[in-house]
Amino acid sequence: MIVNHLKELYDYRNLIWQLAWSEFKLRYKNSILGYFWSLLEPLLMLLVLYMVFSNLMRIQVEYYQLFLFIGIILWGFMSKATTIGMFSIVGKPGMVKKIYFPREIFVISSCITALLMSVFESLVFIMFMIYFRVPISINLAYAPLILLFLFIISLGLALALCALNVFYRDVQFIWQVFLQIGFYITPILYTIDIFPKNLQRFALLSPIARIITSARDTIIYSSPAKTEDLLFMFLSSIVFLLVGYIIFSKLEPRFAEEI
Amino acid sequence: MTAIKVENLHKTFRIPHEKRTTIFETLTGFFKPPTYETFYALKNINFTVEEGEALGIIGENGSGKSTLLKIIANILRPSAGSVTALKKLTPFLELGVGFQSDLTAAENIKIYGTIMGMQKREINDKLDDIIEFAGLEKFKDTKLKNFSSGMQVRLAFSTAIQTDPEILLMDEVLAVGDMEFQQKCLDVLSQYRKDGVTIVFVSHDLGAVRRFCDRTLLLHKGEQVVLGDTGDVIDRYVYGGGEEAPNSSENQNESEVAETEAKSEDKSPRWGDKTIEITNVEFYDKFGNKGTRFNSFDPMTVRIFYNAHKKISDPVFGIAFYSENGENLFGTNTELKNASIDSLEGKGHVDLMIERIPMITGRFLLTVAVHTHDQKPYDWHDKQYSFDVIPTCRDIGLFDVPCNWKI
Repeated sequence: MIVNHLKELYDYRNLIWQLAWSEFKLRYKNSILGYFWSLLEPLLMLLVLYMVFSNLMRIQVEYYQLFLFIGIILWGFMSKATTIGMFSIVGKPGMVKKIYFPREIFVISSCITALLMSVFESLVFIMFMIYFRVPISINLAYAPLILLFLFIISLGLALALCALNVFYRDVQFIWQVFLQIGFYITPILYTIDIFPKNLQRFALLSPIARIITSARDTIIYSSPAKTEDLLFMFLSSIVFLLVGYIIFSKLEPRFAEEI
Repeated sequence: MTAIKVENLHKTFRIPHEKRTTIFETLTGFFKPPTYETFYALKNINFTVEEGEALGIIGENGSGKSTLLKIIANILRPSAGSVTALKKLTPFLELGVGFQSDLTAAENIKIYGTIMGMQKREINDKLDDIIEFAGLEKFKDTKLKNFSSGMQVRLAFSTAIQTDPEILLMDEVLAVGDMEFQQKCLDVLSQYRKDGVTIVFVSHDLGAVRRFCDRTLLLHKGEQVVLGDTGDVIDRYVYGGGEEAPNSSENQNESEVAETEAKSEDKSPRWGDKTIEITNVEFYDKFGNKGTRFNSFDPMTVRIFYNAHKKISDPVFGIAFYSENGENLFGTNTELKNASIDSLEGKGHVDLMIERIPMITGRFLLTVAVHTHDQKPYDWHDKQYSFDVIPTCRDIGLFDVPCNWKI
């Protein structure tokens, strides 16, 4: 059944891509300047946070600007994927009511839109890497896997959120609060070591925290990802996707009526 | 081979009295279960559509036609029963689904084409054709928001017809657009018909249904009234199917409205000394049933009931048809038709037999009168009665002129 479903989705790959790409273009109003403006937000954020945390808080981390940037990009991806994904059904009543294709396609393409947006930021990140002459190693090979986990977790969250948002419109506000809190309890601005030991364990329950730390280790610091972390990320991405998918498919039949 | 199978299909909508759209409301209302109004949109629908067949679905507004089509298209899900489509469905429920006003014509064609199930290469190959067919060559890279609505419809339509459907679901697409556009739609539909595409067609345009559909399903308030040969089903719809007459009451109301309107326009719609009184006028269709809706070109009988209070010799009964705008279209009386009446007394009726209603479409008003040989009225009902004519052909105008082309 799962195989059939995946095959069906695969048949719709063109549509997924078209929807993702058009959404991406719409967000940047189809102009070069638009892409530039979209980069400005994370770069400004990076600049402000860098100045505050490296000068005022005196955080001593090697390559702190990259350390910070990678956290902002990865967290930003998750935040964008879930936010765009959350509106992918309620934002398209015309399509939901007038045509049928598997509804997951809306969510998947939103996550791809978020990915495209993040790719842009990543290009700047790569330029930073080159500028600061960060040595890279074979451990970089872990990175795609880690990013895949992040994508799957975000997709699972987006599936659940967008389905719930059809029925409960305050989900969007609640989720924004969650994202705000999450930003500070995830080691984005600082290393996990600044937490006390027992809080560290708590913070590491979030797979996003592990994804960000592992991504830093493998991309910036040339060290391998911990097996324990990889396992945790793997299992949690399965759980997130499964739970998200179950919620989605339970609510999906009534989308066209409720929207 | 069966293309679509609908079995014991039911659809109910639960309409809450007070809609809860937030978690907060749901939590605060936890101990007060929400109350619902249940609306039965479809009740026990059963039919199959064979491959290559065109099925029409007709019925009044709110009879569940569109709901049924949406369930077949998998947009809505049945409350009970099942719908099985054994081939790929292409729904034309609306033209231009997913159009983005901030993207250009070419970009929108790509998205819309993909939504309608076209392959990437196919779209790229046909892109120029589509734009040319829509007559928008100069606007290929113009954003859609700068298009007029007519241009948008043309663009959507010329994209949509490039799809290669196996089963086509069509809902009132023809209702939008001018005559030329409707003609284009009908041409495409007949092309699909020739290509052996299975079609499910929902429409109010009985003429189009009659022309394209092999079989037709009539729905009334969510129930399947009859499924069968298109001609029979349309008769059933127009004439309301005998004693059941689901439409007649409604139409009587309508005609009452029309009567009151006529009254308000004319202060004294009835005059005469009433020595002979016209007590009622009724219309009968080709099955002998009373009604006020008729297919064009069908026979019809107008029955005038009278009550002569004393013996009257040589009365003349007359009628006149008016268009809704009050133009006199036709008038005749018993004298002109050489059907003189020697004398009348008591109650009775006279019939006017119309072999073939020549009107094409519209509402028509009727004046009925009885008067003396020298035009002195006994009872004159001016435009007091009305009936509707439903088109069965695609000619236009008020009246059919019997004619042929010779080429």
